[in-house]
Amino acid sequence: MIEVESLAKSFQIGRGANRQTVIAVHDVSFRAEDGCITALLGPNGAGKTTTLRVLSTLVHADRGRVAVGGIDVEAQPEAARASMGTLSDSRGLYGRLTGRENVTYYARLRGMPVALADERLRDLSALLDMASLLDRPTAGFSSGEQMKIALARALIHDPKHIILDEPTNGLDVMSTRALRRLLLALRDRGKCILFSTHIMQEVEALCDRIVVMAQGRSIAEGTAAELREQSGRDTLEDAFVALAMNAATPPRNAGDCA
Amino acid sequence: MIVLHVFRKELLDALRDRRSWAVALVIAFLSGPVVFSVMSRLISDDEARVAERKVMVVAPEQSPTLVNFLLRSGAQVEQAPAEYEAALRAGTLLNAVIVPPIDFESRLALGEVPGVEMVFDDSYTRAIPMIETTRRLLSGFNHELGVLRVFARGVSPQVLEAIEVQNRNLAPAQANGARLLFVIPWVALTIAVFGAYSVAIDTTAGERERGSLEPLLMTPVATRALAAGKWAVVVVYSMAIVALTLMGFLLSMRFISSETFAAQMRLQWREILIFCWVLVPFTAMTSAVNMLAATFGRNFKEAQTYVTYIALAVQSTAVAPVVMSTRDALWQLLVPALAQTAVMMKALRGEPLSPSDMFLPAVTCTAITLLCLGMQARLLRRETIIFGK
Repeated sequence: MIEVESLAKSFQIGRGANRQTVIAVHDVSFRAEDGCITALLGPNGAGKTTTLRVLSTLVHADRGRVAVGGIDVEAQPEAARASMGTLSDSRGLYGRLTGRENVTYYARLRGMPVALADERLRDLSALLDMASLLDRPTAGFSSGEQMKIALARALIHDPKHIILDEPTNGLDVMSTRALRRLLLALRDRGKCILFSTHIMQEVEALCDRIVVMAQGRSIAEGTAAELREQSGRDTLEDAFVALAMNAATPPRNAGDCA
Repeated sequence: MIVLHVFRKELLDALRDRRSWAVALVIAFLSGPVVFSVMSRLISDDEARVAERKVMVVAPEQSPTLVNFLLRSGAQVEQAPAEYEAALRAGTLLNAVIVPPIDFESRLALGEVPGVEMVFDDSYTRAIPMIETTRRLLSGFNHELGVLRVFARGVSPQVLEAIEVQNRNLAPAQANGARLLFVIPWVALTIAVFGAYSVAIDTTAGERERGSLEPLLMTPVATRALAAGKWAVVVVYSMAIVALTLMGFLLSMRFISSETFAAQMRLQWREILIFCWVLVPFTAMTSAVNMLAATFGRNFKEAQTYVTYIALAVQSTAVAPVVMSTRDALWQLLVPALAQTAVMMKALRGEPLSPSDMFLPAVTCTAITLLCLGMQARLLRRETIIFGK
C-alpha cells in the first residue's frame, strides 16, 4: 500500500534577483491499495510527476508523510526503493549496451541471482513482446522500444509496488494493449500499482481508483463511476474537467477499491 | 559486490565506445615517440651547431687578426648575411654575429681598444649555447692579445689574472641534459588527467544527459557504491592509457639520435616503475576530481569545459618548477602535479629518492580522492543534480 498524507513541495528556480519559489505540490493526500490500479489523473503542471518523485525518494518533501508498504520514504529511503519498481519520465538507456544488458544491470544492482533475472526477463519479454529487442544495442531504438526496455528494467525485480509515470507515452496500440494486460495481471497478483496519466481512455480501461489532481492538490478520489456521480456528469472526461475547474474544492473521499 | 557490478557495466560501456577508445590509444602510444624525437632532434641540432663552432663575422676581410685567432681556435668563420639583424629576429639565424668596426685592424695596431659588437637574439633559447661559444671565443681573443701586449712590455702575464676561477658544478651528473626533461613528466601528467576524460564525463554528466541517472538512483544502491564503481573504471582506463604512454617512452629511448640526451637521462624499467608508483595515486585523484567536476555538467559539452579547466591547472602546475627554481622543497611534495613532476624529474636525473618522495605525494592524492568520492556520493542525492536542466 502507498500512503501520501498532506504532501507539499516547492522548488527554487532562477538565481540572484530572479530567484523564485514555485510551489509544485500544495497539499496532496491519497492512498493506493494493494491489488488495485490507482491513477493520478491531472492536467500538465498538476504536480503528478513531483508527487511520484517524492515517492521514489529522489525529491524530499517540504511537508507531509509518504509511506510505501508501511516504510516511511524519508526515514528509510533505501528500503522504500527496494520495494518499488519505478518508471519515471526519464527513461534513458545505455545506448552501447543491448536491451538484455540494460535490464540485467538493474537486476544485478537489486541483488537478483543471474538465473532468476534471466527467467524474469524471459517472462517480461513474452508479456511485452520484446524478444527481438533484447540482443540489439539500444542506440537507435524507437521511443516505444525504449519504453519497453525501460519498463522491463523497472519491473525486473518483481516489485510489490509499481509506480509508472505516463507509461503508455510513445507506445503503439499493440504495445499499449500488451502493457494493459501486464498491469492487470500484476494487479491480480496483489501488486499495488500507481500511475500518472492524462489519458482518459487509459484510466477507464485500467484503473480501479482515480485520484484527480489539479494545481498541486488532490481534489477528488474514487472509482470512475463515483467521480461521475460526484461531479454530476455522464463521462469521466466531463467529470474530470468539472472537478479540475473547481480546483479550490477540498478533496472528497469515496468508497474503497472494488 | 554492487561496486563490482557497476564497474563491470561501466567498463563494458567504455570499451564499446570504440571511437574515443581508439583516439586515446593512438594519442597515448604516439606521445612518447613524438616527444622524444622532437626533443632528441632539437638537442642533436644544437649539439651539431655548437660542435661546428661556426662564427659569423661582418666583413671578415677587414679584421684578419681576429679571423686568424678564430680559425686557430678551431672555429669556422663565415661572412654574416647582409640582413643579419632581421634573420636573428626571425630565428632563421641563431649564431651570434661579430661586427668589428671598419678601422678594427688599424686601431688594434695602434694599441687602442676598438669596440666589437656582438649581435644576437637570446629570446631563442636554442641560440644560447652558440652565443656562449662566440662570447668565449671573443674573450679568448681579448685575453690572448692582452697577454701578448703585457709580455711585450716585459710584464708577467700573471698580473692579468687576479684570481683563478675553478668551476665546480654541483648539479647531479645527469642534471645538465635534464633541463628539457620536464617535458616527459608533463606529458605523463597530461595523459593521466586527460586520457580518460571522456569516460569520466560519460559516467556522470553523460548519465544526466541521456536521462539514465534518475532510474539509476531509484535502485536501492547507495550512491557511494555507484561513485566507487564508476571511479574504478575511470582509474583503470586512465592507467591503461598512462601505461601505454610510458611504454611508448621506453621504446622511444632506443631510437634517440642524440647521444648527449640519451646519456644524460635515465629512463629504463626502474624509472618506469617509479613513474607508475607516482602516477597511480595521481590518476586515482584526477579521475575522482574529473568525475566530481563533470557531475556538475548538465551535458557532455558543459562537463568537458569543467574538465578542461582541471587539465589546465595540472599542466600549469607541472611546469611551475621550471619557472620557480624551487627544487627539492618539502612543501612541493604536498602539491599534486608539482610533487609528481619533482619526483619524476629526480628519477630521470638519476638522483636517489627519499621515503618522503615516494610516499608524501601519494598521501595527498589519496586524501583528495576520498574527499572527492565522498562529495560525489552526496551530490548524487541532490535534487538540483538529478533534475537540474
